[in-house]
Amino acid sequence: MSIDEKLLRKRERSAALMMWMAKRSSYNKSLLDKACRWAVNRATTLPPEEDFLRDPLIDNDQGFDPDELDRYQRGETG
Amino acid sequence: MPAAPPFDPQAIADAKFEEREVRPGVTTKRTICQTCDIACSVVAEVEKGRVVKIRSSDNPIFRDNICMKGIMAPKGLADPTRILQPLKRVGKRGSGEWEKVSWDEAISDIGQRLKAIIAKHGPEAWAVSTSQWNTATDHGLGRRIMNHVGSPNWISGVALCAGNTAAVNRFTYGWFPMGDFANTKCIVLMGHNPRRHSWTPMYNFIRQAQARGAKLIVTDPRRSSSAERADIWLPLKAGSDAAMMLGWLKVILDEELYDKKFVENWTIGFDDLRKRVDEYPLERVAKLTGCDPEMIAKAARMYATEGPSIIPWTPITDMQRNSTSGIRLQSILRSVCGYVDVPGGERLEGFNPDIINESTIEMHHVLSDAQKAKQLGSDQHPAFTYRGQEAFREPTKRVYGQEYANLIMGCHMATPSATFRAMAGQGPYPVKAFFFLGNNPLMSYANMPLIIDAMMNQDLIVAHEHFMTPSAQLADYILPGDSWLERPWLMDSFGWMSSVRPSEKAMEPPGECKSTFEFWKLLAGALDKPELVPWDRLEDFYDYRLEKTGMTFDQLVKKTDIYFAPPKFRQYEKKGFATPSGKVELKSSILEELGFDPLPYFREDPPVDPEYPLKLFTGVREDGFFQTGHRHIPEMRKRHPEPLLFVSPGTATQYHLAEDEWVEVENEMGKISIKVAIKDAMPDDLIRIPHGWWKPEMKQGAGHLSGALKYADAQLCRDDADYLDREQGIPHLKGVPCRINKVEQSEQSVAPASAMEPAE
Repeated sequence: MSIDEKLLRKRERSAALMMWMAKRSSYNKSLLDKACRWAVNRATTLPPEEDFLRDPLIDNDQGFDPDELDRYQRGETG
Repeated sequence: MPAAPPFDPQAIADAKFEEREVRPGVTTKRTICQTCDIACSVVAEVEKGRVVKIRSSDNPIFRDNICMKGIMAPKGLADPTRILQPLKRVGKRGSGEWEKVSWDEAISDIGQRLKAIIAKHGPEAWAVSTSQWNTATDHGLGRRIMNHVGSPNWISGVALCAGNTAAVNRFTYGWFPMGDFANTKCIVLMGHNPRRHSWTPMYNFIRQAQARGAKLIVTDPRRSSSAERADIWLPLKAGSDAAMMLGWLKVILDEELYDKKFVENWTIGFDDLRKRVDEYPLERVAKLTGCDPEMIAKAARMYATEGPSIIPWTPITDMQRNSTSGIRLQSILRSVCGYVDVPGGERLEGFNPDIINESTIEMHHVLSDAQKAKQLGSDQHPAFTYRGQEAFREPTKRVYGQEYANLIMGCHMATPSATFRAMAGQGPYPVKAFFFLGNNPLMSYANMPLIIDAMMNQDLIVAHEHFMTPSAQLADYILPGDSWLERPWLMDSFGWMSSVRPSEKAMEPPGECKSTFEFWKLLAGALDKPELVPWDRLEDFYDYRLEKTGMTFDQLVKKTDIYFAPPKFRQYEKKGFATPSGKVELKSSILEELGFDPLPYFREDPPVDPEYPLKLFTGVREDGFFQTGHRHIPEMRKRHPEPLLFVSPGTATQYHLAEDEWVEVENEMGKISIKVAIKDAMPDDLIRIPHGWWKPEMKQGAGHLSGALKYADAQLCRDDADYLDREQGIPHLKGVPCRINKVEQSEQSVAPASAMEPAE
């Protein structure tokens, strides 16, 4: 179905605004950048109970001990 | 903009967008994970000169794009079996006898031997296979050197995974589009199943879109996790995707649900397409796909009326005998419904004018027409070869400002099967030198027995690798590669999108590991062509590529996580599409010129052989692995200790299979050992073979190949004419005839005890 030109232009402006905010959010230097980051974050954050990306494996990851990694690399540990 | 969630102060307070506190002695680097091919922006925490943790980016647009493979990278790359010094074969090929040599010794000998092969057989006797994801600092330098030397024979796994999709999309509208997930209202997943730990950003995009109210349609023989969340799930027969889309088009055209204005103004071949689509009434499509005609019609209506809709890239249509038609049908659906280059639809981004792109670095124009004509496979299956893409040079220059657009590196490739045949002495000319970088070619293409023959018939094989893979075991030289933690990177989306992202070097490479940039720079010198890689350091090369931005690489890193130009939509209204006609070619003038059917069609399966009553599909990996990698990581092997054959309860009953039983899966090509897992999400008579299995702890060398000869799916993947796509020559992996053989109890111990258990 053909899309109404007016609606299409509105969508284009909205999408361009979203990209501009993402760009400023990535700079994260000036007050405006930080405001954009806050807005982008707020718009994309779900309540924890609905957050489909919460995952114990990732959220509880403590990383590695550098000395342990050294020993592992030398084949001293499993 | 996505709708704001209900304001919840605690949820906002919990948000992870603020830069986190760093422990004393720990520094952070903003990096891009290259554990798989999706390139998530992440943060590396560094302590005592080592990366000790990989965590989510602090930037909300990349937040939580991290998976189990990413967080294990510090350990995976610290593995004691990692190759840290150049190795030279000293015994027979595949004997497993090596000596350590210096880079200088290795490169000098490699250069001399390669020059001798080229002098004897011609430059086309040198073939290269890469998979850029692991060694992605090549940036087209390999092609650049090959083009100057005169070899067109570059192959890659992208021939059956995204690169071919990019090349075939060009036949319709001249570029490979990216779906606008943030604004779309309907997503169609064709067999692809992004999930929390596999293709995480796509999973994130899809779930965010669904949370916003977007519809999800899934076509998949399995009841995948995406299918379970879908508004409509069409459980089609494996490999019948093209028939399904012809059915959708039948509904959309008959019910006039298409964008008439766009079709009238911006397409050619609509009447011919209509005639072709009329050959596929829903009753026929229902028979071909095994799906209910009403559900097919409902899905087609949803796609056409709930839009703007997107059909994200899927590997499924990349790997079947109707691949070209399937990919073309996706592009035709996007076009007739008016979803091309509009918000919420599929954007044709083009090159970023501020960045020197990889297609430019590759310098395809220096390779002579005579050498291009020798590209293996281009005579029979030209779609993604120089020959098949030649007609895009003028339109691409008109629209995108340069003649060559090697999108996803997939638009000027040799055909893998034809290349391996030539390597095995069965081609139009000999190929006697084979290099592979970050790639395990024995197991990454169809017809593994042929690839073994091909490699055993080489005069020189060079691997640039992290580990002693089955392919590396057959090399003359193994040169140690660095990893994404150990070098900077400029991620340019493989030409697909116009954004670039910088990745910082987080630690020094261990031992004598070097980047692909250094590999090619050294080789250019050894081939007496040092001027081809004139930059001293990788960072200098990036500074050159970024010159027009007015920033150096270091300055870009400091400024942003991502660099892109403001989006522009409907660019075709100014310059047309990058096709010979300047319009969307529903009927492809280039395919017609090449002697193929210019309209999409559906080739049915060959008649069932009673010897092989089941069908298998492969190409799928477990979440802990990417392609043939990561089997050496104890934590990943603990999750996935053995290759698992997924069968339905019905199939298990029919063939008397029990959970955890070892069986053989066999077809005309070969057989593999595998353990049974009964899954009620599987349809009857279709089985799943996981991709890329070998066991690093098993015996190395020819005749063993660390278990690859026992487990690798590539031994079952055919590349004879019935199982190749006609236009591209890529194999059919979605519905290959096979059977399951019961194994005597005494034969069930297929590997030493150490191999049966995770190494932890």
